[in-house]
Amino acid sequence: MAGSAEWRSKIQKASTKIQKNTYISAISNGLMALMPILILGAIFSLINALKLEPYQNFLESTGLKDYTSIPATVTTDVIALYAVFSIAYNFATQHKQQGFSAGILALMSFLLVTPKGLLDDGATKAFGYSWLGAKGLFVAIILALVVGKIYTFVLEKKFYIKMPKGVPPTVEKSFAALTPGFIVAILMLIFSAIFAATKYGNMHEFVFSIIQLPLTSLGGTWWAMLICIFVIHLLWFFGVHGTLVVYSVVGPIWVALGLENLDAYQRGVEGTHIIGSPFFPVYVLIGGAGATLGLIIAMLFAKSTRYKTLGKLAIVPSLIGVNEPVIFGMPLVLNVRFMIPFIVTPLVSSGLAILLTTIGVLPVLHGIQVPLGIPVLVNGWMNGGWRVSAFQLVMIAASFLIYYPFFKKADAEALEQEQQAEAAAAGKEKGGIPNAQPVS
Amino acid sequence: MKKILLACAGGFSTSMLVERMKESARAKGIEVMIDAVAESDIADQTPFDIIMLGPQMGHAEGDLAAEYPDIPVTTIDMMDYGMMNGDKVLDTAIELMEKGA
Repeated sequence: MAGSAEWRSKIQKASTKIQKNTYISAISNGLMALMPILILGAIFSLINALKLEPYQNFLESTGLKDYTSIPATVTTDVIALYAVFSIAYNFATQHKQQGFSAGILALMSFLLVTPKGLLDDGATKAFGYSWLGAKGLFVAIILALVVGKIYTFVLEKKFYIKMPKGVPPTVEKSFAALTPGFIVAILMLIFSAIFAATKYGNMHEFVFSIIQLPLTSLGGTWWAMLICIFVIHLLWFFGVHGTLVVYSVVGPIWVALGLENLDAYQRGVEGTHIIGSPFFPVYVLIGGAGATLGLIIAMLFAKSTRYKTLGKLAIVPSLIGVNEPVIFGMPLVLNVRFMIPFIVTPLVSSGLAILLTTIGVLPVLHGIQVPLGIPVLVNGWMNGGWRVSAFQLVMIAASFLIYYPFFKKADAEALEQEQQAEAAAAGKEKGGIPNAQPVS
Repeated sequence: MKKILLACAGGFSTSMLVERMKESARAKGIEVMIDAVAESDIADQTPFDIIMLGPQMGHAEGDLAAEYPDIPVTTIDMMDYGMMNGDKVLDTAIELMEKGA
């Protein structure tokens, strides 16, 4: 493939630009840091809402239900609070400033623009939950970046009042740290006043209807998902971690959609978004990028030592979606022979999943963020019961069938090389000249 | 003791390779620390003597080389990575550390 190395370097450069953009990487790293919280909330949602009657009766009768319902209300239900801190923290540290200060200022800003009121007793002050969870996620992202930017800008440009000589330097420092705080607070008050004057009433309502809803509706369409899958695998073909690059852009949308489904699941109804954060690990990455689990199973029966060894090496990590050994060891990167199955297999499984969910054969996934290490089939079951696992099983078989014709040829070639190498080695012992590269 | 740092997207697949490299180091009697991290967490690991990136993170090599000018920054060979060839990657690491940045 002439010029492919050049292409590869071009694509790598473009990927770096996207992934290393400080705004994008602050969002993706910030959300990534929330994984423990997201996973914890999701697992407890499952424990709390698992639809098994005897189990639910047990929870009710023992009074355990009062407790199993708590974790979700302080994790996934208020995820925007965690996100605003985490993203601002990441943004500031990337600019070599104190992440903690930026984080708490961002949290303050978020609370400033969030509607507050009184409970029915007329005395207890309260924040409503409605904007603290998935619905407030985009405000959290926007404010984290705005505050992070103001904070780092003020400190980098030393844009604060200098104290006259003689004032202890520590005093100036503490003053410097206050400056961005005041700027941010006043700005948020101005925001609140402006949005209060519009028909939206507050910043949350505005951002939700003008930005979050259109973006999540777009990101939740079947064709947006298929385009993402195509781009991810094209990037992987050129040796770039496509999932990471694409996720850094669309991740927030998928997370928001997944959390809305999780919220519905908690309330005992089915979610409305076919596409959400678990869609990717459950329906696309069956065995890792390229849905290679079927290919790896084929490798276990390989005739060549080379692929048999690789298959044994790759099978266990692949069950939990880590398949770099096959991607680079096969290799699938820049390997034109495997380009078609590598891109087609995940498109087939996700396309079918979308279709079957639309017509009601498959359930909408619960939105449970599955921790890495939970194998395929189990992650499907956790997100929608046995029907999802059964579908995954069928897709593993499909992966096997799609990859097999391509793999058979590669295996035959490897076997021939091995036999040649052996013959050459045998010939060498007799004094002949080896003409084949040994295959290690 | 020298410390070799491997990095990929989440530190998962490199950690598999790290195990292989440690086995190889034990077999060869080489005393060296080897660790795997997510690319975004590299800075937390200082000090280290070499950064080796998984091939899928090769696009980060230029930026990291600029950030750590005093140590070698390299991308692991695709085939060695795929076949989890700990022996060969360890040899490369030692060779590069001796040569310097």
